[in-house]
Amino acid sequence: MDDVLNLTKRQLDALRELGNIGSGNAATALAQFLNRKIDMDVPSAKILPLAEVSGLVGGPEQQVLGIFLKVMGQLSGRFILLVPTSTAIKLLQALMPGFEINFSNGKFGEMETSCMREVGNILAGSFLNALSVLTRVPMLNSLPSMAIDMAGALLDSVISDMAAVSDHVLMIETAFVESQENLRIHIFLLPDPASLDRLLEILGVK
Amino acid sequence: MPEIYPVGMADIRIAKAPDVLAVYGVGSCVIVAMYDPKTTIGGLAHVILPDSTGIAPERLNPKKFADTAVPLLYQTLSHAGVYKSSLWAKVIGGAEMFPPTEDFSLNIGKKNTEAVHDALRKLGVPVLAEDTGGTVGRSLEMRLDSGKIALTVLGESVREL
Repeated sequence: MDDVLNLTKRQLDALRELGNIGSGNAATALAQFLNRKIDMDVPSAKILPLAEVSGLVGGPEQQVLGIFLKVMGQLSGRFILLVPTSTAIKLLQALMPGFEINFSNGKFGEMETSCMREVGNILAGSFLNALSVLTRVPMLNSLPSMAIDMAGALLDSVISDMAAVSDHVLMIETAFVESQENLRIHIFLLPDPASLDRLLEILGVK
Repeated sequence: MPEIYPVGMADIRIAKAPDVLAVYGVGSCVIVAMYDPKTTIGGLAHVILPDSTGIAPERLNPKKFADTAVPLLYQTLSHAGVYKSSLWAKVIGGAEMFPPTEDFSLNIGKKNTEAVHDALRKLGVPVLAEDTGGTVGRSLEMRLDSGKIALTVLGESVREL
């Protein structure tokens, strides 16, 4: 696959289905550890022009918390989870009842940071687990890295070296919604251009 | 009324006073601003990667890489009639947004910044001001009437560069 622009509708459908299976499993995990009902947006497999990436979550300057993990193994890629900081605070309140959340100067305390990284770890782990079962290719996630900053700034540093050849990036995107407090968690999976062919082959749509 | 033109990833844009060129939410990318105060013409290159080596020429988007985008911005400004000898540059961005873990580090920001400096040195364009590196995202607006850049970092007041 020279350029993600050449992906056919059938291939994109298969990738979206992959997103569906992964995020279904991740949503179940999230519902279990939050002990709340979680709905899931219908996943999409999008081919986005570079210029549009920075505006994906509420505009390029929106302050968000990002958790970034690498997908390692025969099929490699990147996994990024973005939530507005207000949502992160509510998530932490639900996860650590009675604990006073420390968020000042755009930074969380150590406990909060560790907890949010674990959220990323669990979501990515359960997502990839479902994909590993489906594709019979083991996929592991790296340790999560976390940052709070402008959405555009977090996204550009994750995608830029995936766009050396193409002017577009392929993103499998979904969002989890907790309806009680309307918390939205955005998840993006970006297959490495180098392992895309292999992935399509495994999905039977090469 | 001055117009504000945003410059997206892997894009180059030039303009003239009184207009404004802007980039919002810059992480590891590096923004190269070039300006000629005599003609009040200037431009921005939104560089996303350091080096185009190894990319097949027919697939190469020169606006993406430091080694090709910086000369292209210079050339575009030359065609627009600037005095090359009065051109200066300002360099912004090149942060490492995600702290490295045991498994990986993304150090594109630093490589981008170094590659932009190399390219500017080759062209002989002096760097008048710089705000690069660190772990913070940046936004900027460049006014073509003065060449001044308003720089925004979340949680801080706007600075002039």
